[in-house]
Amino acid sequence: MSLAATKLGLSALTLETAAYAQLALGGSSEHDLALYLLAHGGASALLAAFNYLLLPAGYRVPRLPLLLLLFGLIFFIPVLGFIGGITSMLLIRVIPSLAPPVKFSSVQLPQLDPHDQVGGVGFRQPGMRGFLGNVEAPVPVRLRALVALSNVPTRLASPLLRDLLADPAEDLRLLAYGMLDGQEKKLNSAIHVTLQGYNGTTDAAARAQAARKLALLYWELIYQGLVHGDLRRHASEQGLRYAAEALTTIGDDPALHFLHGRLLHEDMRHAEANRAYDRALELGLPPSRVVPYLAELAYDQRDFAEVRRLLGMLQGWPALPRIAPVVSYWSLP
Amino acid sequence: MTFPRAAAADIALLLEGTFPYVSGGVSSWVNQIIRAYPEYRFALVFLGSRRSDYGDMKYALPDNVVHLETHYLHEQWGGAAEGIRGMGGDADAFARADALHEVFKAPPSAAADLTLFREVGRDLLPGGRLTLQGFLHSERAWRAITERYRTQCTDPSFVDYFWTVRIMHQPLWMLARIASELIPVRAFHTVSTGYAGFLGALLANTRGLPLILSEHGIYTKERKIDLYQNEWIRDNRNVFQKDPAELSYFRQLWIRFFEWLGKLCYDAADPIVALYEANRLRQISDGAAAARTRNIPNGINLKRLAALRERRAAGDPPPVLCLIGRVVPIKDIKTFIRAMRIVATRLPAAEAWIAGPEDEDRAYAEECRNLTESLDLTDRVKFLGFQKIDELMPKIGLVVLSSISEGLPLVILEGYAAGVPCVSTDVGSCRQLIEGLDEADRALGAAGRVVRIADPQGLAEAALALLEPGAWREAQAAGIRRVEKYYTDELMFERYREVYRGALEPARP
Repeated sequence: MSLAATKLGLSALTLETAAYAQLALGGSSEHDLALYLLAHGGASALLAAFNYLLLPAGYRVPRLPLLLLLFGLIFFIPVLGFIGGITSMLLIRVIPSLAPPVKFSSVQLPQLDPHDQVGGVGFRQPGMRGFLGNVEAPVPVRLRALVALSNVPTRLASPLLRDLLADPAEDLRLLAYGMLDGQEKKLNSAIHVTLQGYNGTTDAAARAQAARKLALLYWELIYQGLVHGDLRRHASEQGLRYAAEALTTIGDDPALHFLHGRLLHEDMRHAEANRAYDRALELGLPPSRVVPYLAELAYDQRDFAEVRRLLGMLQGWPALPRIAPVVSYWSLP
Repeated sequence: MTFPRAAAADIALLLEGTFPYVSGGVSSWVNQIIRAYPEYRFALVFLGSRRSDYGDMKYALPDNVVHLETHYLHEQWGGAAEGIRGMGGDADAFARADALHEVFKAPPSAAADLTLFREVGRDLLPGGRLTLQGFLHSERAWRAITERYRTQCTDPSFVDYFWTVRIMHQPLWMLARIASELIPVRAFHTVSTGYAGFLGALLANTRGLPLILSEHGIYTKERKIDLYQNEWIRDNRNVFQKDPAELSYFRQLWIRFFEWLGKLCYDAADPIVALYEANRLRQISDGAAAARTRNIPNGINLKRLAALRERRAAGDPPPVLCLIGRVVPIKDIKTFIRAMRIVATRLPAAEAWIAGPEDEDRAYAEECRNLTESLDLTDRVKFLGFQKIDELMPKIGLVVLSSISEGLPLVILEGYAAGVPCVSTDVGSCRQLIEGLDEADRALGAAGRVVRIADPQGLAEAALALLEPGAWREAQAAGIRRVEKYYTDELMFERYREVYRGALEPARP
């Protein structure tokens, strides 16, 4: 309670006591009554101000009507008004401290981001290939399907994109072109940078590492389906050249033999591919990575008994869910 | 250097990124048109991105160009922010702009009501109620941007949104200033939509004069290609926010912006000239009123080019494949280089020439050179820079176009006239130029081969087949017949004479 409020309260009490004392001391003339009313009025005003100051800040508006109300209550209800005025204020002060303290626990501010609201339903069309190829479907819908393709691995998306390059709808054609071009650009600029490193050094080890990376990048061009026809052959030749060069320097690296094998496999050099895969196995590449390709190689050579034998090795390997159906097909009696 | 200045002219040509600073198909066409009408005085308004992007003029100005002014839209000019006092912004003007943006939410259509645009256009003019300072610094502008961000933007980054909106709109005030300061003329002629088209629309609306639009490519479409391919537009959505079937919001915003710039121009222009039918239909689907559209194909100077046939060496065609065009992504030079890898393997004497300026997109030119290197073609592919057609044509065997988008490329016609057949991708009017449009045209024979876009194998095989002497001679003869019958400049000039006459001498009531 502030000093000012205390002073106001005491003054009000004094003045009110004085008013009653004056009345009790006997006067009953109109003059006495007027004196009493004046003193009582003054005391009421002081008490109203006292009460006002004790109110919590949020309750103090509107100021004037509130003051008038408090004054009215105190002035027109003799004695009780005054006592009530004082006790109510004291109660206001005391009651909250009687209530048990509320326990707050801290929580994270929720991330209410309006940008999470995705309008409408996204693209949920099964059979993307058939749908994209359907020239009768409305262009905006096909455009959405095409944009959704940008989240699909390039290896799967690139044949679809390539089909769209001849689409009658120009927007689709151009977007498909942009997407393919973007992928190709990434690989080609990586090839360019690596090639510069390769040509720019005489250190045999650095050159071999660059050659290994080049082989990998050319293989990636083929694997992602970004080169075709003669260009595919060119990429394959380059890949083989750099892989062979890296092998002569780096020597027995299982992953490099494996890459070499895949390039040879791609180039239909089956016997050499077989040797490269076998070498990768010997050097410790896990069979789960190599055996499926050995099986594919055997299949390409129409050696079905060998396919069966190789795939039989993979039976019950939980790590290969994607080829599990193939394995189970070939293990049929 | 000093530019010609005049107090008045007959026709103001609005040129965005073309004549006289950039060489290329559209620029040669503009040059041709200006020189064809010595009776008219032309004022040229050149709009560029930044001054540093352009070198010297690539063309000598014809004598009837009496006025030239250049403006660069992306140069800082709004003035520094220092000393800017707080400002509220004009309530009515912002309300109108808001209402106009409501219209812009939908894709443009012929039915869209653009009366508001005329009012907002006037607000943009110097002394108008919607000032650049107001847009950059007023409280209302801030409120409008934040409100739109909250309700419409699907990208979480406000900073990117804020600057995208600013960069997008700022040039409009410069265009409004150009519109109000341009010397008096009697008609406007823009050779593209986009910013130049918007300027044309502002001019036509504020001065009440006719606007002619000649579209070579489709500007909006070319912008879309840029926007689909470029990597500078950010997508800040995380994996939960991203709808995989939706383009990044900023990409969509830019595409919509250019679509509407196009529509505003179509709305003000009459006639709307396309080079060929497919483009005319595209204009209509982009919101042009069908009744105002028409086709006027390009034409070439037959006499001058036919003389080049005499200078060809006798005998079999030289195994030289020449791509004549700017080294820019839209020309897909890389596919040409890849095709050359295949051609060179099968025909070791073959060479590829790339004749066109490389200064427009240096990064792309660099990429092309790198590709040449990594395909081991440095001695087979020659980058010649800008070359005179007259020097080039007698030495080459084939004109090759590997573009992913074209209008009606003059270079095919020039090749025909000079006796060189063409292999082109199936874009724009190329099929029409090579195989013929209607029955009578097709009867003239095929003057080359048409292949898919981005198909090096197809392009190489078509070129190799066409280089066989028998096939080559047949295609050469068909090309000469076709250009003589349908694509001479006299035909084109006659049609444009009518267009200009219609604009400059409106029928009296």
